[in-house]
Amino acid sequence: MTDTQTIAAMRPASTQDVADILMDAARKGEPLAVRGNGTRTGLGNPVRATRVLELGGLNAIDFYDPDDLVIRAGVGVTLDEVEQLLAQKGQYLPFEPPRYAGLYGTDSARCTLGGAVATALSGPRRILTGAARDFVLGVEGVNGQGDVFKAGGRTMKNVTGYDLSKLVTGSNGTLAALTTVTIKVLPAPRAEVTLVLPATSVEEDVALFARMRALPLGIGGLARRVNAAGVCEVLVRVEGSVPGVAGNQQILNSLLATRGPMQVLEQAESQSLWAGVRELTCLHARPDELVWRVNLPATTMPAFVEQARKAGCINRFFVDWAGGVVFSTMRGVQPEVDTLRYRKMAEQAGARATILRAPDAVLTQFGAFPPVSAGVAALAARTRAAFDPAGILNPGRMTVQA
Amino acid sequence: MQMPEPSQAILSQRDALAQGLRKIVGKDWVISDDAQRRPYQCDGITAYMAMPLLVVLPGCAEEVQAVLRFCHEKGVKIVPRGSGTSLSGGALPLEDGVLLVTSRLCNVLAVDEHNRVARVQPGVPNIKITEAVSHLGLCYMPDPSSQLISTIGGNVAENAGGVHCLKYGVTANHILGIQAVLMTGEMVELGGAYLGAAEGELDLMGVLTGSEGLLAVVTEIAVRLEPVPEVARVISMSFPSVEEACACVGAIIGAGIIPAGLEFMDRKVLDAVSVLIKEKFDDRTAALLLCELDGTAVEVDALVGVVSDVARGQGAIEIKVSTTEEERQRIWSSRKLAFSAIGKLCPDYYCTDGTIPRNKLPEVLNKMADMSRKYGLDYANCFHAGDGNLHPIIMYDAAKPGDLEKAEEFGADVLIACVDAGGVLSGEHGIGVEKRDLMTHQFTEIDLQQQQMVKCAFDPKDLLNPGKMFPTLCRCAEFGRMHVHNGNLRFADIPRF
Repeated sequence: MTDTQTIAAMRPASTQDVADILMDAARKGEPLAVRGNGTRTGLGNPVRATRVLELGGLNAIDFYDPDDLVIRAGVGVTLDEVEQLLAQKGQYLPFEPPRYAGLYGTDSARCTLGGAVATALSGPRRILTGAARDFVLGVEGVNGQGDVFKAGGRTMKNVTGYDLSKLVTGSNGTLAALTTVTIKVLPAPRAEVTLVLPATSVEEDVALFARMRALPLGIGGLARRVNAAGVCEVLVRVEGSVPGVAGNQQILNSLLATRGPMQVLEQAESQSLWAGVRELTCLHARPDELVWRVNLPATTMPAFVEQARKAGCINRFFVDWAGGVVFSTMRGVQPEVDTLRYRKMAEQAGARATILRAPDAVLTQFGAFPPVSAGVAALAARTRAAFDPAGILNPGRMTVQA
Repeated sequence: MQMPEPSQAILSQRDALAQGLRKIVGKDWVISDDAQRRPYQCDGITAYMAMPLLVVLPGCAEEVQAVLRFCHEKGVKIVPRGSGTSLSGGALPLEDGVLLVTSRLCNVLAVDEHNRVARVQPGVPNIKITEAVSHLGLCYMPDPSSQLISTIGGNVAENAGGVHCLKYGVTANHILGIQAVLMTGEMVELGGAYLGAAEGELDLMGVLTGSEGLLAVVTEIAVRLEPVPEVARVISMSFPSVEEACACVGAIIGAGIIPAGLEFMDRKVLDAVSVLIKEKFDDRTAALLLCELDGTAVEVDALVGVVSDVARGQGAIEIKVSTTEEERQRIWSSRKLAFSAIGKLCPDYYCTDGTIPRNKLPEVLNKMADMSRKYGLDYANCFHAGDGNLHPIIMYDAAKPGDLEKAEEFGADVLIACVDAGGVLSGEHGIGVEKRDLMTHQFTEIDLQQQQMVKCAFDPKDLLNPGKMFPTLCRCAEFGRMHVHNGNLRFADIPRF
């Protein structure tokens, strides 16, 4: 395996150039590391490739139609540029895509829209508005044979043919080198406030999350974290119209009255707080620590966290998605042993444990993404081969060699 | 509309196949006599009919596995079917195929209140999920108008939409996990019964959803439940022209409001409906919009004010806002009765569901008027304006020779106009057999080949619901060879049905 960080990247500027490169690579059977600007190559397993294909140069915005809630752009357009453009019309990317640039020590300003689709990462608002996969309306890309194909479209509803747009979303560049993506956007809420409360036990806080989520109050964030002063607190983000948020805040005030002193953060303060949650900065992961994401039912989360902490598999953690996801750090002392134990615990809890950051040796041995059943793995392999029969697109990124 | 030639070899084995299947599901659950098979001859599109070879009703997922394994071994095709409400012929039987009906798989298996998930079998009618959780203040959001009858399995197969999907999303956005059986009988579990259960795996669940029964048979589904909004109010807004009504749709969304529903009805629909609901619409009205807003009372009241102002600014003649639930239901009744009201005006009607960018609404609606003159068939418009999902209702008389064909051509022209306007062939009804032959207008050969390669990954023998969605049969073996040739001979003449 070659270290793909040190190879000079090919940076095509058009779909046709991407197709030519892939056609050539397919003919030679030459594996490629496919990425946008390479800000998140730490997510997923190291790629076994000899050359690097960077799609960051495909950075034109084809159109943005605010009244139709849709934008189509080259995959290399940065998330910052897209979000600034949308903000001018009071709109946003509803899935609140995380950059994780802090986690990987890269430049957040270079994170691309294509990367958001390829990684399918979704932020804290997932519990209210949905995931990245829910907002990808269409894609154009080049498969592993150098064929340019498109799927989906630009309309809000579309059931014409297989939903290949969903399939490539989150495929981490293993099915196709995407060239353009069409994304559904939404009006950003006019108002947001965050209520900050003292935390109690994990169990009680999760029960509180469930009670709040049972009410149709437009709650777009429920997290539990340790703040900079070392105090554990519960975060409740309420969003909507100005009168709507005020009304919902009152309902929550009475529900939370017994919870002790409440701090209320408005607009900008609230936004910066949730940026910290989204980017995992509130995890305070040390450079030598592994970083994990565990998805699981909120109700089983408290017992899982307790067990994993006792076993030394969780050093620091915080909880997002109303208890449905745990982000944690693991000491880097015996990463192989602890990884095996943590994965085992997750499996027993019916959870999915993804390694967001770890030394290459750990990723190569255990795989960043949680294992799936043999049948699903085989079906996924056949599906990958349907796009990339020669296996030249990001080989090994999502799967570990047996 | 042509279907693949039935295999004489399979037809001749009918009795033996029936016997084999009875061993799996029990003798009562294989239907082979003519009278009992007849009700299964068509789905929601009655224009297309075929007698299924046999009808099988498995009682559990294991029986589904065994039926598929058996048919796979014998090389027998399978057509999966829920309640048969497909509006694109997705459940149209094959004469040499077994119709696998999910009616007996009709249980809500578990409701997890705290994680807000229900696990259900595919044969559960959509509405039954909400009924099973309404005492908890929860509901299953996607609400196709067939929801009283259509099954959740069918909803997954078609990625069904509904009136509320502009705000709440379509079926795919509400599915957390799927258990499905491949044609070989192998069972796969994708995702799970919690939000995020599919994180970090290839989104096979995403591609299964909306695959129209061509990739696998779904045997269990984990769906997301949502709290029922506290209040819903509907605003009825009438406009002197279609253009002004269309402009108002864009203006509402441009004002930062995503209504729970935003429906359009033209004058012909209003006239037809007014007889049934005994209500007169203002003479100047050319089109009516219904805009539903939901949420908390404070939020909804605020939004009602904004939408009313927008509508006035866009030239609305009359604006009515529901103040009680009873009023809301009454205002909605015009939309709910629209299709049956049109049904009273003509012997038959045909309705498609092309979808376009919202700002193309006036352009495409004008083209429809031209087409109506061209074909000499009347039509009416009643559709989901918020997401640009058209439902032109083309009126014809099946008893008149040539009328059905004219209606079909009219419908096809509308769909082509939708694609040409930057839209798609289908927003929610699916391709099935109805729009199958138009797929080449929206997709290139390579686009379609890429989709069919996925089919080969799931069902290389092309036994699951063949003849649907694609204008050519899968040629998995040939696709494989094409890789060797690296693109040469890719566009050799392809036989079409």
